[in-house]
Amino acid sequence: MEPIAFGRLLRSNTTGCVVGCSVSQTDAPAFGQMVRIPLEDSVTVFGLVYDIHIDDDGLVRQIVTAPSIKSEVIEDNRRNRNMPVEMSVLFVGYERRNNIYHALPPHPPLSLDAIYPCSDEEIRLFTSEGRFGYLRHLFRSPDLPADDLLAAHLGQVKIASPGGLDESALNEVIALLKDDYTRLTTILKAVSDVI
Amino acid sequence: MENNQADINAGRSAIGFVVGGGLKANLFVRLTVPAQSVQEGGFVVIRSSDWQFYGLVVDLQLGSSDPRYAENPGMQRFSPEVSRLLAHQTLYTNLEVLPALMVEAGPELGDPAYPVWREQHPDDPRPLPIKTVPSHHSNVWLASAGDVATIFGEPGKEGNFVIGRTREQDHPVCIDLDKFVQRSAGIFGATGTGKSFLTRMILAGLIQRNKASVLVFDMHNEYGFDDTSSDTNRSVAGLKNKFRGKVRVVALGRSSTIRGQTPDYHLELRESDIQPEDIDMLTRELNLRETTPTTLDALVHSLGHEHWFHEFKSMTVGDTIENEEGKKVPAPGSVAYWANQEGVNAAAAEGLHAKMTRVFNLPYVIPDANAVPGTNLSEVIKSLQNEQHVILSFGEYEKDLDYLLVSNLLTRIIRDAWEKTTNTFRSQGGKEPRPLVIAVEEAHKLLNREMAAQTSFSTIAREMRKYYVTLLIIDQRPSQIYDEVMSQLGTRVSGWLGDENDIAAVLSGLAGRDALRGMLARLQPKEEILLLGWGVPMPILVRSRRYEQAFWNELLPRGESLSAEQSLKDLGF
Repeated sequence: MEPIAFGRLLRSNTTGCVVGCSVSQTDAPAFGQMVRIPLEDSVTVFGLVYDIHIDDDGLVRQIVTAPSIKSEVIEDNRRNRNMPVEMSVLFVGYERRNNIYHALPPHPPLSLDAIYPCSDEEIRLFTSEGRFGYLRHLFRSPDLPADDLLAAHLGQVKIASPGGLDESALNEVIALLKDDYTRLTTILKAVSDVI
Repeated sequence: MENNQADINAGRSAIGFVVGGGLKANLFVRLTVPAQSVQEGGFVVIRSSDWQFYGLVVDLQLGSSDPRYAENPGMQRFSPEVSRLLAHQTLYTNLEVLPALMVEAGPELGDPAYPVWREQHPDDPRPLPIKTVPSHHSNVWLASAGDVATIFGEPGKEGNFVIGRTREQDHPVCIDLDKFVQRSAGIFGATGTGKSFLTRMILAGLIQRNKASVLVFDMHNEYGFDDTSSDTNRSVAGLKNKFRGKVRVVALGRSSTIRGQTPDYHLELRESDIQPEDIDMLTRELNLRETTPTTLDALVHSLGHEHWFHEFKSMTVGDTIENEEGKKVPAPGSVAYWANQEGVNAAAAEGLHAKMTRVFNLPYVIPDANAVPGTNLSEVIKSLQNEQHVILSFGEYEKDLDYLLVSNLLTRIIRDAWEKTTNTFRSQGGKEPRPLVIAVEEAHKLLNREMAAQTSFSTIAREMRKYYVTLLIIDQRPSQIYDEVMSQLGTRVSGWLGDENDIAAVLSGLAGRDALRGMLARLQPKEEILLLGWGVPMPILVRSRRYEQAFWNELLPRGESLSAEQSLKDLGF
């Protein structure tokens, strides 16, 4: 069955993008989830959701001050809202002609490109290539919530992998950050809680 | 990476890789196996390109990427799995390896380049002293049995004597006995570290090899006949009982017995054997004055080399007579009378006579007229030249004076005899002199700084190699031995030493001594020894063989019996 896109691209650059969607809480992508964005030239960009942003609009501002809100109103506002839910995605690699690369994509996706959640099989394929070298992208920017993002992502990888999480993932994290004691121990503490 | 210990010990599994170092600073190896798999003194092999490097582990150091990883164990904060992985990458052990030798090993056997290399190197390349270093990340192994044999020799090869085994891998380590006797050697170790047992084994090896005669100055009567170990109360086999006619036990004094057993013959010193230089060597023991050499010189000049001792001994001290003028003057036959006649200071001569009383009174120094045939020094020389081995036991004469006088005198005569034989051999051809090893216990008494310059032993250590005579020094205080003698020792075998000065003395003149210093202080007494010096290709720590029946079974297999001809020869016929 063809997977269903849960959103379309609002803006992007070579390191990431922001996606808008109108999904409900039940099928919204989770923090740390791996997603893919197929491009036109047989390239599929892989990324991790690292920020989910819900902006207010004028109607919500009016409703929120009401003394009581009917459940139908809440439901209607969520389903038919004008402002999309925005998700920030960090690019961690791409696929071209069945080859996986843990590098930034050659060019960013374009506006309104569709974004799909990765299946377990796709997660396995992406993570089994190389030795989790893509994890370096998580630590590139100090603004990223790297510890919780990594924990959430590894939790997903663990679920997707029948044999459990490959220890080379943690080895890669330790190798990347062992010169930064404080950061590494903070990240490992977060990871310890989920794996 | 967890490796099977058996594979590690057999040299089938690498223990780490080179991360730095140099020829002066030693090599540093990152350990990839548990630290307990390797110990100080381990013999390791490093393969780099076509070269194989051999070295000795001289230190193990714990390290970490950041000190905080070592200071804060992760087990409390992280899951066990995360803690394990974190420790694996951030905490490590580095080996410090003293590089010693290198061999051009060529490509691996299965390598296509191997046939070409072999054609260019038809003979197996020999180990060379280290001249370069292996490259970064070269793999490191514990030496295999083949590696040990490449460097220290095949155990079964003639002349190779298994002195012990490598500690971790239990591979046999040999010393080349023929090389061992080419230069003086030393066996050192603090008291109770198994020095005597080690000496017994090496002497047994030398006697069995029979390429050199051995003379043992057995101060404590422990090498000839069976003894009882003071530590275990078990019987300890003596060399005489194992080698029978090959070994002659000689006891000092006419009626001496050794541990209740009768020696092969007794040794007595003729008065004519004692020469002024023998007395000179007792300067410290007898507290002789500076005037002694002059007085002795006068004695020899006036009384002759053969009779001076007897005549001097017979002189009286203090006897006077009245001369024609009624004045008291020294009586004829007195020391003062002789001194006045010879223009020697009478007081000095009388002083020397008094101090030599201890020598005059020695029961084993006898007038030539009372000598019993077959008990003189020439018997010892004859035995040694006839390919026998002599253990000179001091019996009840255990004072320093006995040891100094007899050993010095005998060594002087040996030196004269071997010099003469060698000079004859070199000038006129004929039979090559039989190499001789003189084993000296408590060597510091004879080779200390004050004595060494005067004794024949120091001459032997310095010069007698050319005349086929070398020393085997056995001592617990090597720091007390004269530096010049220590520097001449080819092979040094040392058990545990605690004193810094003793350790420095054993390591003097050797490359890498700073790295080996700590190793000597941490040897396990009675178990481990360190082999060093010219006689071994590189320093190595070994677990010493045990001096027990198994040793003798290997050295003297039951089927090995002496031929009738050899038995007669051994008995001196």
